[in-house]
Amino acid sequence: MSSDFYTTQILPYAAIIIKICRAYTDTQEDFEDYYQEVCLQIWRSKDNFKEQSAWSTWIYRLSLNVCLTFLKKKKNNKQNAPSDLLPDEVLVDSRAFADESLNQLYGAIRQLSEIDRGVILLYLEEKSYQEIADIIGTNTNNIGVRITRIKERLKKILSN
Amino acid sequence: MEKSIETIWKEGFIKNDALVAPKLNDLYNQKSIDIVEKFKRMYKLNRIGVAAFAFIIIPLSYVTKMIYMGIPMSLLFIAVSFIAHKYSKQLDHIDKNTSSYKYLSSFDTWVKDMVSLNSKLSTFMYPYIFIAMALGFWFIEIEGEILGNMLINGIITEFPTTYLVNGFPILLLIPFFLAIGVLAFFGGKIGKWDINLVYGRILTRLENILSDMEELRK
Repeated sequence: MSSDFYTTQILPYAAIIIKICRAYTDTQEDFEDYYQEVCLQIWRSKDNFKEQSAWSTWIYRLSLNVCLTFLKKKKNNKQNAPSDLLPDEVLVDSRAFADESLNQLYGAIRQLSEIDRGVILLYLEEKSYQEIADIIGTNTNNIGVRITRIKERLKKILSN
Repeated sequence: MEKSIETIWKEGFIKNDALVAPKLNDLYNQKSIDIVEKFKRMYKLNRIGVAAFAFIIIPLSYVTKMIYMGIPMSLLFIAVSFIAHKYSKQLDHIDKNTSSYKYLSSFDTWVKDMVSLNSKLSTFMYPYIFIAMALGFWFIEIEGEILGNMLINGIITEFPTTYLVNGFPILLLIPFFLAIGVLAFFGGKIGKWDINLVYGRILTRLENILSDMEELRK
C-alpha cells in the first residue's frame, strides 16, 4: 500500500474504521490487528469500488465485513456460537476514552449481537435507514424496528 | 436530565482525541509466522505418514503375497521420509528475526527448492513404483503357478512367432518399458501435481501474501 493511498484515501476516514473496530474488539492488540486488516482490505479491494455509493459508505461496509469475519474466525477457533447471537461473555474494555459516558456506551454496544453493533454504529454515525440497510444487506423497514429495539436495550444496559 | 445515546456519542467524540489511527507497521508479521508454522505442521505430518506407511507396507505385502512389491516400496518410502526430514531441518535455519518479507521470501525459496527436488526425485520415483508394483504382481502365485510365467505362456501361446529377449516376449517388454518411459517423462509433473494437491492452498496463500508485500514495498 503506498503511503499516498493511505494518506489520501484511508486516513481521512480513519475515524470510521476506529469507531467500528473498537466496537468489535476488547484489547488494544486486537484493535490494532483489526484496524490494519481493514486498511489492507480497503487497499486490496480498491479496484472493486464502483462509485455506486460514497467512498465513506464503502469503507463502512468493508470495515464491518472485516470485523465480522475476524470475529467469526475467532469464535470458530473458540468453538463458540454462530454470529448474530448475543456474546457469551461481556467484553471488558481495557482502553478508556476521556469521556466516561462514551466508555459506558461503548461497553453497552459491545454487549449487543454482532450485527446489532454494526447497525447502531451506523445509526449513531447518522447514516440514513436506506444506507444502513444497504450496508447491512436488509430492508429499510427492518432497520427502523431494529434500531428502536437496540436503543431500548442500550438504555436498559446503561441504566443498570 | 439523562443524555440520549446520540448525544453521548456526539459529545464523546468531540471532547476526546481518542480517534488516533494506529501506525501501520509489521502488517504481515503474524500472518507470515502462521503460514510457515502451518506448513511445517503439515510437512511433518506428511513425513510421519510416509514413514509409517514404509513400515506398514511390509507386513501388508506379506499378507497379500506381494512381498517383492512391499520391500522395494518400503525402501523407497524410508528414503523419501529420510530426505524430507533432512530437508525440513533447513527450515529451522530460516531467520525469524528478520522482516516478514525477508522471512517469507526465504521460506518461499525453500519451498521452490523443495518442489524442484521433489520433481527431480519423481522422475525416478514413479517408474520405480511401477517396477515395484510389476514385480509384486509378477510373483503372485495362483494355484501354485507364478502369475508372470502364466502371462508369458499366454502371450507365447497367442502369438507363437513373437520375438523373445532373454526369454521375455517383446510384446510384453514394449508396453512395460513404454510405461516406464511415460512415467519418467511425466514424473516431474506428477510430483508437482502431488505437492499441489497436499499443499496447494497454503502455497497459493503464500504467493498472494508475497505479491501483496512486494506491492507494499513499492
